[in-house]
Amino acid sequence: MIQISDLSLTAGNFRIDHLNLDLREGVFNILLGPTGSGKTLILESVIGLRPLARGRVVLGGKEIQNLPPEKRGIAYLPQDLALFPHLTVRENLRYGLRAQEKTSAEDENHLERVIEALKIRHLLERHPQGLSGGEKQRVALGRALAPSPRLILLDEPLAALDPALKSEIQQLLLSLQGALRFTALYVTHDLEEAYLLGDTISVLIDGRIEQRGPREDVFLRPQTAKIARFLGFRNLFPAEVRPSSPGGGAMAIAVWGKEIILPREQAAAGLTAGERVILYLRPEEVLVLREGKPIKEILRPNILEGSVARILDRGAYQWILFRPSGMDISLEIHLPNYVFRNLSLAEDQPIRVAMRKESFWVMPDEHIRPKP
Amino acid sequence: MSFFKTSVLAAFLLFFFYAALILSLLTAFEGKGFWELLRAPETLFAIRLSLTAATLAAILAVAIGLPAAYALSRKNFFGKKVVDTILELPLIMSPIALGAALLIFFNTRAGEAIQSQGILFVFEFPGIVLAQFATIAGLATRLMKTALDEITPRYEAVARSLGSSAWQAFWRITFPLAFRGLVSAVILCWAKAVGEFGATVTLAGTMAFKTETMPTAIFMALASADIPKTIILILILAGIGLTALYAVRLLDKRPQVL
Repeated sequence: MIQISDLSLTAGNFRIDHLNLDLREGVFNILLGPTGSGKTLILESVIGLRPLARGRVVLGGKEIQNLPPEKRGIAYLPQDLALFPHLTVRENLRYGLRAQEKTSAEDENHLERVIEALKIRHLLERHPQGLSGGEKQRVALGRALAPSPRLILLDEPLAALDPALKSEIQQLLLSLQGALRFTALYVTHDLEEAYLLGDTISVLIDGRIEQRGPREDVFLRPQTAKIARFLGFRNLFPAEVRPSSPGGGAMAIAVWGKEIILPREQAAAGLTAGERVILYLRPEEVLVLREGKPIKEILRPNILEGSVARILDRGAYQWILFRPSGMDISLEIHLPNYVFRNLSLAEDQPIRVAMRKESFWVMPDEHIRPKP
Repeated sequence: MSFFKTSVLAAFLLFFFYAALILSLLTAFEGKGFWELLRAPETLFAIRLSLTAATLAAILAVAIGLPAAYALSRKNFFGKKVVDTILELPLIMSPIALGAALLIFFNTRAGEAIQSQGILFVFEFPGIVLAQFATIAGLATRLMKTALDEITPRYEAVARSLGSSAWQAFWRITFPLAFRGLVSAVILCWAKAVGEFGATVTLAGTMAFKTETMPTAIFMALASADIPKTIILILILAGIGLTALYAVRLLDKRPQVL
C-alpha cells in the first residue's frame, strides 16, 4: 500500500488541505478530476518537485516526503513525454539504470522484458524526433519502467493523442500492466480513459478527494451530486426522502410530484428522512414502451407519458429528449440504434416511458448538506 | 507596398547602412602598409591583449553568469525581479560611466583593501578584464537565461525521477540541449568584450604595451590623426568581430538534434 496522508500545500491562490489518498499496489490507481482540480500539484508533490506544507508520503513502509526526487523511486511520465532529444532510444531507456547505477543481470533482464513488451527493439538506435506519436509513447513508458520504480506517475499522457492512437496506447497500457504488474498513479480528466484503465478511481474536485473506490462504485454510485455532475450525469432531479419509511429495506422518494419506492441499495449511505436529495435516472436504462404491448407489472408504478422533444443521432446511440406531460422537466434517454429503428420514433411523437427501480440512484445534494 | 516587402526593405536598409560604413573605410584604405602595421609589435600586443582579456572576461562571465542564468530561468526566489533588472544595467549605462564607477570603487576603502591583496586593477591588465566583465556579465546572463528558458524544465523533472541529482540532470540533459544557445551567448559576449572601449579606457588607461587594447589603439591613432592606421585597426577589429558572429550563425546552421 502506498499512502499519501494529510497532504497540504499551496500554489498561488489554490490550496490543498489534509488530502488523503491510498494507492493499491500492482494496479492502475486513477486520479480523476476536472482541469484545475489540483491533480498535477498532487503529482508534483508526490514526486518531490513541490514542497509540502505538511503531510506524509509512505512508500514501501518508508516515509519519503523529505527525500529528493532522485531518492524516491518514483518514475514520472509527463503529458509531453519529455523524451531526451539528444539521446537515442536506447540511451533514453537506460537513463534511469545509469543514474541509479543498476547494473545487475536482473536489471538487464527487466530492461529486456520492457523492450519486448513494448515492441521497441527496432527503434533502439533512433532519436526520439524521428519517431511516430505511438512510438514515442512506447519509449517514454519504457524509460519510466526500465529502472523498476516502486511507483510510476502518469500525468495525462494520452491527452493530446488522436482517438485511434489513444485507443491503441490504452490497450498497450493494460497489457503492459498485466505483464509487469507495476503500480501506477494515473492522472486524467478523461472519463472513458479512467473507466477503461482504472482499478481504483479517486475523484478529485477543487483539491478534495470527493470519492474513492472501485470504478463501478464511482461511475454507477456517485456519492454526491457534485461528483455526478463532473461525471457528466444529466438526468439529475431535486427530490426528498419521505419521512415515513415503507420498511423492508426500501425508501420512499418524493420527486416529480409523485412518490417512488426504491430499494435502500439504490441510494448513497447516510441519507436521513426528510433530507433533500438528488435523484439520478440512468438515460440508458429508460424503456420506451411500444403501443399495444403488455407492460410488466414491475414497471407499472414508474411510467411517464409525454412526447419526444428532440432526437440526436450520436453515432453509437440515439439521444432522445423526452418531455413528460404536465411536468416542467426533461429526461434524456439513450437508445441503442437497433431499438430506435424498431420504435420508429419521430420528434413531437407521443410516447410512454418506464423506469425500473434499478435505473435510479439517490445521492445527497451538497448544496444543502455540505460535506464535513 | 505590402507589409512583407516593407519589412524586407527595412532589413536591406540596415544592411546597406553598415555596409556603407565598411566600404567608406575601404575607399580611404590605400592597402600599403597593412601587413607592416599588422605585424608591428604594438599592434600584435594590442590584438593579443584584447583577445586574452576578452577570453578571460568571457570565462568569468560564464562561470558566474551560467549558475545565475539557471536560477533566474528555473527558480522563483526572493528579489528575483530586482536581480533580473540589475542585469540590464550595463545595457542602459554608458560604458564610460561603468568604468568611472569601477574607478571610484577602487578609491574606496573596500576597493583599496582588494587592491592591497596583490591584484591591482587600476591602470593594470586585471582592470581590463574587470571592465570587460562588468560590460558583458549582465548580457551574458540574460542571453544564457534565454537559452535555458527554451529547454522545458520537465526534462529535468523526468531525469530526477529517474535517479539523477539536480546537478546531474542539468549536466546530462539541460546543458547539452542548451549548449548551442549557450555557446552563441558566450561568443556574442566575447565579441562585445573584444570591442569594449569606454569602461576599459576609464579603468585601465591607454598605456602602450600595457593596457592598450584594440579599441584603445584605434582611439589613440585617431587622436593623433593617423587615419591609415585607424582604418587598418578598425578593419582588423571588424574582422575579428564578424568572424565571431559568423561562427554563431554556423552554430545555428548545424543540424538540430531536437
